[in-house]
Amino acid sequence: MSYIDPKKSSRSAIEVGGVPVNIVVAPRGATGDKREGLLTIFYKSVKSLLTGMKVTIGYLVRPSTVVTQQYPENRETLKMFERFRGQLRLVKDENGYMNCNGCDFCEKACPNGSIILQDRRNSVSGKSELERYLWRLDSCTFCNACIQACPHDALEWSDGFEAAVYDRRLLVYTLNDYAGPPVNHIKRFKKKAGTPEDRVEELLATMEPRHQYGGPTPLSGKGMPGVPPLKTD
Amino acid sequence: MLDFLFGQLVATHATFDVVTLSDRTTQALAEDPWLAAGYALLGLAGVGGFLSLLGMALIYVERKVAAHFQCRLGPMRVGWHGMLQSVADAIKLLLKEDIIPDRADRVLFLIAPVFSIIATTLGLILIPMSPSLQVVDLNIGVIFISAVSSFGVLGILLAGWSSNNKWSLLGAMRAGAQFISYEISVTLSLLVVTLFAGSLQLSEIVQSQQDGWWIWRGHIVGLVAFFVFLIASTAELNRPPFDLPEAESELTGGFHTEYSGLRFSFFFLAEFINMFIASALAATLFLGGWMPFHIGGLHTFNGLMDLIPPGLWFAGKTTFIIFLIMWVRWTFPRLRVDQLMRLEWKFLLPVGFINLFAAATLVITKLYFFPW
Ligand code: SF4
Ligand code: SF4
Repeated sequence: MSYIDPKKSSRSAIEVGGVPVNIVVAPRGATGDKREGLLTIFYKSVKSLLTGMKVTIGYLVRPSTVVTQQYPENRETLKMFERFRGQLRLVKDENGYMNCNGCDFCEKACPNGSIILQDRRNSVSGKSELERYLWRLDSCTFCNACIQACPHDALEWSDGFEAAVYDRRLLVYTLNDYAGPPVNHIKRFKKKAGTPEDRVEELLATMEPRHQYGGPTPLSGKGMPGVPPLKTD
Repeated sequence: MLDFLFGQLVATHATFDVVTLSDRTTQALAEDPWLAAGYALLGLAGVGGFLSLLGMALIYVERKVAAHFQCRLGPMRVGWHGMLQSVADAIKLLLKEDIIPDRADRVLFLIAPVFSIIATTLGLILIPMSPSLQVVDLNIGVIFISAVSSFGVLGILLAGWSSNNKWSLLGAMRAGAQFISYEISVTLSLLVVTLFAGSLQLSEIVQSQQDGWWIWRGHIVGLVAFFVFLIASTAELNRPPFDLPEAESELTGGFHTEYSGLRFSFFFLAEFINMFIASALAATLFLGGWMPFHIGGLHTFNGLMDLIPPGLWFAGKTTFIIFLIMWVRWTFPRLRVDQLMRLEWKFLLPVGFINLFAAATLVITKLYFFPW
């Protein structure tokens, strides 16, 4: 019998790019090993069966191990786990200003073309900024590439998973709720020496609200109540 | 010792008179035929009702237990904690279309599930649930049960053959091979208790455990026989880890692939009731059935134990074994066909035979625990 013997394995650790990596070398037992005695086999199998039964009874007697959620009864208190990928969302600070400056990295990273960005130039600061952030949930595979690509930590996953709709045009979202300068631009503008208060006001006044469904939608360009038709250009 | 400490609370423990429903019917026949008819009807309705109610309850329990073994909750929607889920499922099954495959052997296809359910019913009537709750008490009870349970596998074989479907046929053939193999081990361990008790009658086997249950009165022999019986009867029940006849990942549904609606529910019900019968039999033969926990000679202790009614003892023991079978099902992976055969012919069978010889020696030398 050949098998992997954990007792004969050697352990070592190396560092790869500052991250410690454990290496376990487990030699296979020689193929010509002597067959174990009947009693040893019996003892080992009974022991491993009992170990299995111990594991399952552990789950049975501890109701805290249950992972099932009583949705929708607990809709109010439902808390998704840390790494849950619900829907894409733009990060906003406490004043409601977003981090995203429309740099296009996420659009380029997306393998499905699920992100479409439109930029504009701010008339006050002269900087390029986000006009509209379109995210197509209908073609997104939740691969996380966009979030990893973002250099400004401007994207995150929300907990929301209730995205079912009757019309697939409603799956095309405008993620930004305003078009205008991101939080970084505003800060830098304020810090610039000798900027009068009314100039800051002027900068903030360039912000325009954007509705979730205010952008272009697919479906052969036809409109529907509350959703304007798709602009193809 | 206990007597000395607590005084003679109860002089001798109660002896139980077994009155079965068929006894009552026979007695009443002489005086009042209507009463006899009443008893007979009660027996029929009781078995029928018990069969379906117990089946639904077992399915619910199985689903709940399985769920919690797997960190789930199981049925939660229909009724309090899903209590009525089985009722809903039963109604749904009864309303389903009864499909007969185009080129199936019609007659055999239709009667196969009936065979299964009849075999189950016949086994059920023999189970002694308490001194006064047993429908028939045959003097060859043990043989009758093992004969009747083979009848059930006939239903499975017929179902597989008549479905005209290769998966069904493969499943049925596996069921046949498995049943023939494991029936030997079951019988060998049944024989051990029969030797101990000196009787084939189930109520007498229960009575013989007045001074202690066979599982530990028969030294290690009783224990070994108990485990052999448990393993072999789990295999006979076609339950995981021995569920090769309906191995979903290989055979779709095995012998009941083509069945739907009422006929499918017959197989399903038979399977669950068979689990009850096997557990009840194990409890009766090895754990004393409805006999309270007695230690020979300790009258006070035995008297205290007698305060708990026999029916409860039976229910408790059977529940324990049913739970054990479920626990095994939801823990172990399924065996391969060759492993299944190896387990029986190379392990269980020799162990069973050696055990039987040991039991015979024990009976001849009268070396039980508590020989008085
Ligand atoms: S998660 Fe992946 S598919 Fe979805 S938008 Fe981001 S990059 Fe595109
Ligand atoms: S989300 Fe990030 S990567 Fe995408 S445009 Fe905004 S800042 Fe750039």
